[in-house]
Amino acid sequence: MAFLSLSSVSKYFGPQVGVEGITVDVSRGETVLLFGHNGSGKTTLLRLIATLTRPSEGTISLQDTEFSRDRPTQRGDIGFVAHETYLYEQLTALENLRLHARLHGVELSRCESQLDAVGLTDRGSDPVSEFSHGMAKRLALARATLHDPALLLLDEPFTGLDEESLLRVTDQLRELTETTIVFATHAIDRGFDYADRVLVLDGGQLTRDIDTAQCPGPDAIKQDYVNAPGQL
Amino acid sequence: MIRQYLRAVRAIAAKDLLLEARGKRRANGAAVLALLIVVIFSFVFVRRVDEQAVIARGGLWIALVFATTLALSRGIAVEDANAAIEGLMLAPVDRSAIYLGKVCSSTVFVTAIGWVTLVAVTVFLGAPFEPALLVQLAVVFPLAAIGFSAAGVLLTALTLNSQVNESLLPVLLVPLVVPVILAGIELTGLAGGPFWLSEWFRILLVYDGTVIVTGWVSFEFVIEA
Repeated sequence: MAFLSLSSVSKYFGPQVGVEGITVDVSRGETVLLFGHNGSGKTTLLRLIATLTRPSEGTISLQDTEFSRDRPTQRGDIGFVAHETYLYEQLTALENLRLHARLHGVELSRCESQLDAVGLTDRGSDPVSEFSHGMAKRLALARATLHDPALLLLDEPFTGLDEESLLRVTDQLRELTETTIVFATHAIDRGFDYADRVLVLDGGQLTRDIDTAQCPGPDAIKQDYVNAPGQL
Repeated sequence: MIRQYLRAVRAIAAKDLLLEARGKRRANGAAVLALLIVVIFSFVFVRRVDEQAVIARGGLWIALVFATTLALSRGIAVEDANAAIEGLMLAPVDRSAIYLGKVCSSTVFVTAIGWVTLVAVTVFLGAPFEPALLVQLAVVFPLAAIGFSAAGVLLTALTLNSQVNESLLPVLLVPLVVPVILAGIELTGLAGGPFWLSEWFRILLVYDGTVIVTGWVSFEFVIEA
């Protein structure tokens, strides 16, 4: 039984194709890397799974239940770290987390432990406007995992991070062994080590589904992608 | 389920008010604009028109509607930064909770602007506002604020992804809230009487109810679009 299932999912923006005909199943606990160039549909696919936008065609199911506006509680199983942090800059780190804790019905005491997990314990009372990009990204990860989601979606989680932030983020991702993770990156060298599967997107279509255990390494995927785009 | 929904409404409203208390960007801008409009009214009309009460009523509501438009426009800018509203959209509650939360916070804010504008009108236009009318306005301001906010929040969500949202909002909002402006002006003129029996009071109530229900039902579709 697939934990996350996409069936013939397409998203069009007027005449433009966001993603087209995506059919894929993801098992519980699996870590899936979405790889593709800019505009290949990675972000659109993540936004569809996060229910921030609806598919033009096809269905998305989580634990065998199709996404629907009538079932908003399904979103409680999803955490999403997007390009943007979804944080209010005038609020402090703790206030941001408390807001999302209230929205998700999570105990407020969990906010402190989340800050601790991303190494921002001593910055809880500082407004987010004073945070560096890396710190804001770490706080966004704390926000997204606050309600202990079964499915974590990450859009370019390694972009713009300094070494310290990168280590913190990757360490935290490694600790989420129970969580199903789908993350998008064009930095496949960094993401390959964490992934069980690599889904290659090109022009909004799924062109490859690669088991990382059967793959010699990220260079092979990159080379293959450059040499023969559009082949499944 | 309902408790979680109400908790989300309250959290979003409280967040908006906290942001406002901290930044005061909306309050300062709206108050200054309302003040300027009232001052211009005083330059243009006070010594040339005999019926000061009419000028005061007009000045009050015109200043209020434009200050409110500015405030609503700036209010959505907070949600636009870092795409914060999408964080709210990930909450496991019906997305109409975002709408109701923002209508609640805007209502408090617009009501406050109303009182600030009233003070400006009293000072600069020498408005003869009697105590009975102040009691009446204590009811009318929040009801008008609900109408402004219910329409305004829906429109700001509609124009959120537009590059010209700040200029588009007044164009869409002002015609839509004409019933609120007319009802406000008329009810401000009915000092001392049983204003709740007035036809304008009923119009205000029906308008508020209609717009809130429309926004509540359609917000999820609007915000996803």
